Amino acid sequence: MADLMTAPPTEPQTGAVPPPPARKKTQAKRANRLWSLLALPGTVWMTLFFVSALLLLIALSFGTSDALGNPHFGTSLANLKALTDPAYVRVAMRSLLYALLTAVLCLLIAYPVAYAIALHGGKYKNALIAAIVVPFFANYLVRMYGWSVVLSDDGPILRLGRALGLSPNVHIQNTGFGVILGLVYGFIVFMVLPLYAAMERMDVSLIEAGRDLYGGPLRTFLTVTVPATRQGALAGLVLVFLPATGDFVSAQLMGGPNQIMIGSLIQDKVLDALNAPLGAALTMILLVVLLIGMLGYLRRTRRDELDVLR
Amino acid sequence: MTLPLTRNRRVVRKPRAAIAITAVFFVLLYLPIAVVILFSFNGQKSLTVMKGFSFRWYTEFFHDSDLISSLGMSLRVSAVAMVGAVIVGVALAVGLVRARSKLGSFAGLVMLIPLVTPEIVTGVASQLLFKGLGVSLSQGTVMIAEITFSISYVTVIMRSRVAALNPELEEAAMDLGATRFQALRLVTLPALLPAILASSVLIFAMVFDDFVLAYFTTGVSPEPLSVAIYSAIRTGVRPTINAVGTLVLVGSIGLIVLAMVIPRFFGRKGGLDILSGD
Repeated sequence: MADLMTAPPTEPQTGAVPPPPARKKTQAKRANRLWSLLALPGTVWMTLFFVSALLLLIALSFGTSDALGNPHFGTSLANLKALTDPAYVRVAMRSLLYALLTAVLCLLIAYPVAYAIALHGGKYKNALIAAIVVPFFANYLVRMYGWSVVLSDDGPILRLGRALGLSPNVHIQNTGFGVILGLVYGFIVFMVLPLYAAMERMDVSLIEAGRDLYGGPLRTFLTVTVPATRQGALAGLVLVFLPATGDFVSAQLMGGPNQIMIGSLIQDKVLDALNAPLGAALTMILLVVLLIGMLGYLRRTRRDELDVLR
Repeated sequence: MTLPLTRNRRVVRKPRAAIAITAVFFVLLYLPIAVVILFSFNGQKSLTVMKGFSFRWYTEFFHDSDLISSLGMSLRVSAVAMVGAVIVGVALAVGLVRARSKLGSFAGLVMLIPLVTPEIVTGVASQLLFKGLGVSLSQGTVMIAEITFSISYVTVIMRSRVAALNPELEEAAMDLGATRFQALRLVTLPALLPAILASSVLIFAMVFDDFVLAYFTTGVSPEPLSVAIYSAIRTGVRPTINAVGTLVLVGSIGLIVLAMVIPRFFGRKGGLDILSGD
């Protein structure tokens, strides 16, 4: 602000009198040119490196690769047909199942956590949410590695379990459950944040009313809190499901050969086997499934908004 | 008086089950981080049994020329991505908000796509693009891919900030004789400064910690640090990874906390919204 005070005006002062309409029009036009100019580099960059990359991905999934593994464009449906192979279908179904179970598990864990912090966190609310958010922005890979050590056969969880009489045959690593636990650890913050926001917005007197009507704590929670925070829960489900479906780190660290996910296949095809068109087709299928999920979510929330208006 | 009091007490009563679950949640959230830090000081080679205390894994890391060059590459990529994405992203946010055209709001919607697209899709698409253009994968391609992702992040954060500014401030400056560009530079930019600084720090940390995008767009040597860590985990973990992991975790947690605290230096409350994007 001090700068503004001392900055010498370079144009003659016109401020005292409102400028005539014609002048205002050219001014607005000139302003619009400045705004377009500011937006130009970013728009060009994103078109060049994001939009065109996605279009290329779609185009290449109809392509072929030669003996050297070089991709060529084409109109072949061979890649898409190859994806109907039962082995691929099984992996795709497994990915969707794992991601779905992950989203549901995240919901079950995050509901009480968000509830406790939003309604009973008092002055520590912000600090507690920060304590959840901060580690999630830290290195994903290192966190997942640490989690895999925690869940390993010699890790603290199973050791504690065995000391309490758990059978030594119980393992978490190399199981589907282990992969799901990895995904939960990786993405649960995307469930906690929207739920927390929804509970913050919720009218607490609704809970009071539920109690006044002699609802038990659980019943009040199910019939009052859950419906009031449905939007947040839905957003959380989508936000967890999307990255979980495409993840391959959890399957790598927690799973074995029987737990690979679609991300592992893409990684394999694109990087190791150098079969780019097949990898592109796999990626495109993933993208299409996720877009359907996204659109379903958007339609659903649109309808909810209309319900509220009615 | 007694009736509302008892009513209050009944509602305020602590939900013990929810609080217990929250406590367990926090323990499990930090346990993996604690394990990595603990074992980085392990006196012996085991990854699961702690015995003795030493700095040998840190010494080993600082003598590992591959890991050190990976660290250097990650720092360079993060710095370039931060500067590039913040300049382009802030300009884009201001342009999109002020232009108020149909195209502007459409472009704003398009900017959200990279954020919800799974990173693996962006990674594969970027790699195919670079290969299609005949560009061999290297440090430069990682920088381009990271800038692309970061631009959308900066734009989404800054758009709400720009929209929250009162445009009359700029008009007032212009009425006082400033050109539109001067008004932008002397009024709007200083008002956006806390958010710009906070998102710069955040972008640096996010790019430094990014794995998937870097994995698909990097060449073989050197690899970004996250990719080097992944290779090490895949081929057989050495305890050095715990030392690297500790340094990386402490560094990025420090940066993220800094990003959250920066707005307070400017007398603004809270910085959480920077992280959640609200």
